[in-house]
Parts: sequence; C-alpha cells; structure tokens
Amino acid sequence: MMRSKKLIWALALPALLLLFVFMILPITNMVEMSFRTPGSSEPFGDDYTIMHYTRILGDGYYWGVLWRSLTTAGMVTLLCLIVSYPIAWHLSRAKGFKAVFLYACIASPLMTGVLVRNFGWMIVAALNGPLNESLMALGIIERPLRLLFTQSLVILALVHVFVPFMVLPINNALRNIPQSLTEASASMGASRYQVFRDVILPLSFPGIQPGVILVYVLAVAAYVTPALLGGQMVSYMPTLIIGELTGTFQWPFGSALAIVLSCSTVLIVVVFTRLTWKLNERARA
Amino acid sequence: MSTSAQTFGGQRHVNLGFAILIFALYVFLLVPVVTIVGASLTNGLMIEFPPQGLSLRWYEEFFARQDLVDGLLMSLRIGAITAIVTSAIAMMAALAGQALSGKLAGMFQLGMTLPLLVPELLTAVGLLFFLYKIELGKTVIGLQFGHILMSFPYAYVSITAALRQVPPSLEEASASLGATGWQTFRLVILPLVTPGLAMGAIFAFINSFDLYTISLLLKPLGGNTLPLALFDFLTYEFKPTAAAAATISIILSIAGVGLVQKLVGLQRAF
Repeated sequence: MMRSKKLIWALALPALLLLFVFMILPITNMVEMSFRTPGSSEPFGDDYTIMHYTRILGDGYYWGVLWRSLTTAGMVTLLCLIVSYPIAWHLSRAKGFKAVFLYACIASPLMTGVLVRNFGWMIVAALNGPLNESLMALGIIERPLRLLFTQSLVILALVHVFVPFMVLPINNALRNIPQSLTEASASMGASRYQVFRDVILPLSFPGIQPGVILVYVLAVAAYVTPALLGGQMVSYMPTLIIGELTGTFQWPFGSALAIVLSCSTVLIVVVFTRLTWKLNERARA
Repeated sequence: MSTSAQTFGGQRHVNLGFAILIFALYVFLLVPVVTIVGASLTNGLMIEFPPQGLSLRWYEEFFARQDLVDGLLMSLRIGAITAIVTSAIAMMAALAGQALSGKLAGMFQLGMTLPLLVPELLTAVGLLFFLYKIELGKTVIGLQFGHILMSFPYAYVSITAALRQVPPSLEEASASLGATGWQTFRLVILPLVTPGLAMGAIFAFINSFDLYTISLLLKPLGGNTLPLALFDFLTYEFKPTAAAAATISIILSIAGVGLVQKLVGLQRAF
C-alpha cells in the first residue's frame, strides 16, 4: 500500500510534530530556563547565569534531598522486583479464562489513577484502618502504628503503583522461555531451585532489565505519592521542584533542580546498564 | 523410591507456600481499590473501612458539590477530546511505523512511546514554560495538548499491535485487484484494526482521566480536573465524598478494561 516515502512521512508528520513541539522543544527549553537569572516581576529574568547550579551543588540540603530521592527510588525498584517476579511467573503459566482474570487484576491498578490508589493506602494505613486492625488481631503489634506520612508508606504506595510496569516485561520474557528447556534440565536431575537459578532467572533477565530501568526512572520523578502520603516533614526532589514552580515561582531554580535530578538518574541508569550488560548478553546467546 | 517420595512431599510444601505468596501479592494489588469502594458506601461520617452501614448518601453529596462535579465534567470532556485526537494521530503514525523497517523502525517505535518513558514531571515542567512563552499558559487548550501528548503512546501501542495482526497478503491482494491505497485502507485494513483502534481510544481516555502532575502544572485559570479537585478535597476536608469521587473513576476504569477485554482480549492488549 505504501510504496512512496512521501506518504509515510506525511502520515507520521502529525505525531512527530506533536512529540517535537510539545515534548522535545519544551524539555530543551527547560535546559535554557535553568541558566536564566531570577526575575522580579516575571517568573524568570533576561540574562544568563550558572548561579542556580552553584547554589544547588554548594548546599548540603539539596544533596540530602537528592540522595533521599535516589535511594528511595532504588528501594522501591528492588521491592517492586521482588513483588513482581512471582506474579509475572504465575501469570506466564496461566491460560484461558484464568489468564484473562489475572491480567485484569494486574491491569486494574495500571488503569486506576495514581491519586486514587494512593488515597486507598491512606484509608488502609489509617490509625484505626484495616492494616492496623488486622496486625493487632494477629497479635503482631499491640498498639496501632502511625504509618501515615512516613517514608515507609510512600515506598509501599510507590511499589504498588509500579508493579504492573515490572510484571508485564518480565511476563513477556518468561513466556519466551521454551517449556522444553526447563523440562530438559529437570529431567537431567536439576532441582527446582537449580532450574530457577541456572535457567529461568538468567533467561528472564531481558525482561527484568527494562522493567528495573523503567520503574527506577519513573519512581525517582514520582510527585503525587510523596506529596499526598509523605507529609510536610520529608522533602523529595519532585515535591521540591513543584514547590519552586508553583509556590514561589522560581522557574530557573526549579528547572536547575529538575535537571540535576534527571542527570543523576541518567547516570545511575547508564551505570546499571553497563553493569548488567553481560547478564543480558548471556541470556541472548 | 523413598527419595523421590520425599522430594514430592517437599514440592507440595513449596507449591502451597507459593500459592499463599501469590494470593497475598494479589491481595496487595487489589487492597487499595477495594478499600475505597467499600469506604464510599459507608453510612457513617468518616472515611473508614469496613464501612459503618451501607448507603449511597456520599454519592448524593458528591453530585451536590459543584466543584467536584465541575471537575468530573472537565475531566470527561478533556478525556473525550484526547481519545478522539490521539487515536486519529496514532492510527496514521502506526501505518507509517509499519511501513518502516530495520533500525529506523525501532527508533520510530521508541520515539512514539517517549512520553511514557520520560517522567511526567519533566514533560510537565517543560510544557509549563513552553506554553507560557507561546501564550497558551493557564488555558484549557494548553492542558488539552498536554493530555494528548501524554496519552498518545497508549493509543499508538494498541493500534500498532492490531496492525501487526493484519496479514500483508491482504494488502497485496487488494492492491493487485486495482484498489487505491485509500480504498485498501478504508475497506480492508480499517475494519480489521477497529478493535485495536477502539482499545487505543479507551486507554487514551482512561490515562487522560487519571493524569495528575501535568494537570497540576498546566492547570487552567478557574478550572480543575477531577484528580486536582480530589487532591484539594483530600487536603482540606477528609470526608467519604472523596471515596465516592474516587469510586466513580474506578468504575470508569473497570468499564474501560471490561470493554477492551470484550473487544480484543486482555492478553493481547499488553
């Protein structure tokens, strides 16, 4: 149908324009904004400066917040992987109606807004909420735990938000492992644990790697969850950035914060990819 | 003999343990949603789970609140426009993407899903400045563009998946019988990808309906989407009305997922 190159580009044009004008251009714009001087009446000034970067890098407070954001996201990613792997495994084995039902269970959080789900955790984790009640009923704790507005709850809620992003790529990778391979290794006397460690885990790595990267990148920049569940006491980079942009209208400084955060994230992702590159190659071979 | 019986017994324990683990993980996934729906049906005055008696009074309360209803209407309107525009643009882009091959095709695919891979926060901050510069700051049109951008990848991925199912031989046959490119598209391809197109539109709608960060930064003067109104409501008055509002958006999502399941089957959707 499409022999002409012109037609292809004509069809792609609206989408390319959309992405270029409303995404690439604005994000490049943000880099420029971060070098602007602060404005007096406008949210930014006319001249250029590197003062925002020196201010961030020279202040231990911002290093602390950055460190908290990066480590919290790391924790979220790790827990997310631990929670998602068994689910992905279970899902990859399911067939027919059961598979449809399980997909719906996993997709339903994906399809409900982050705000709604976080609000759900507010109810669950309340002082007299179901979580405290059941822990007390089981005799695990004596007094209700104060969970709301703690870092633990932020991590828990973020793990919940990102589970589908981790489950789906791992599920795809697991589905690509031929059944005969696991059967063959089992028939040669490998225990279940050995089959898992030596065959399944390495072969599912092409799903784990993109899942881990995606979840980490999204978790670092997650705004709603820390804003709603983190309370006023602890700051994360995204809450700080949005505060600068909407509260105090310091657009250049807010941009510089966003860029410091992005660069740190990209650095971590590059290091992670480098470190795990070998594992991925082994799975492809 | 005895050793194999032993491992068999051990396996049963492992299986049971695994089943319990899986059950617990699914409970974890569903707990917040179930809790909200439960809390919205309470007859009491507080947000709590399990609810105190059953009633629909907080839904009445929701529809009596002008700010929340306005938010709902605005979200529905923006979502509907987003669904229509994104699926049209994504349909065209998916056709183009399919005609590409090799490295270019991979790059195109990646580029089209970029709004999903770059954190919403960065896109939102960039758009805030950009819209201000082109004098669309704090307008509904600006917000609408943001929603279209953020929802585009969902429509693109769904439609591309549907297009892949169409055998290329059909196109060739249609062309060899003298159909023009447009005729082939309208009479052969479009009917075959309609379920995928509908799925893309539904996902784009749901995504737009749920967006928060981008709406916060691009918030038009005097207008609120439902998630924005809900956040404000949660910060200032923590009443079961919020649970009712959240349940309404959960119902919309479930209806959407159900519709997708009916049209294409969920397993193929992801």
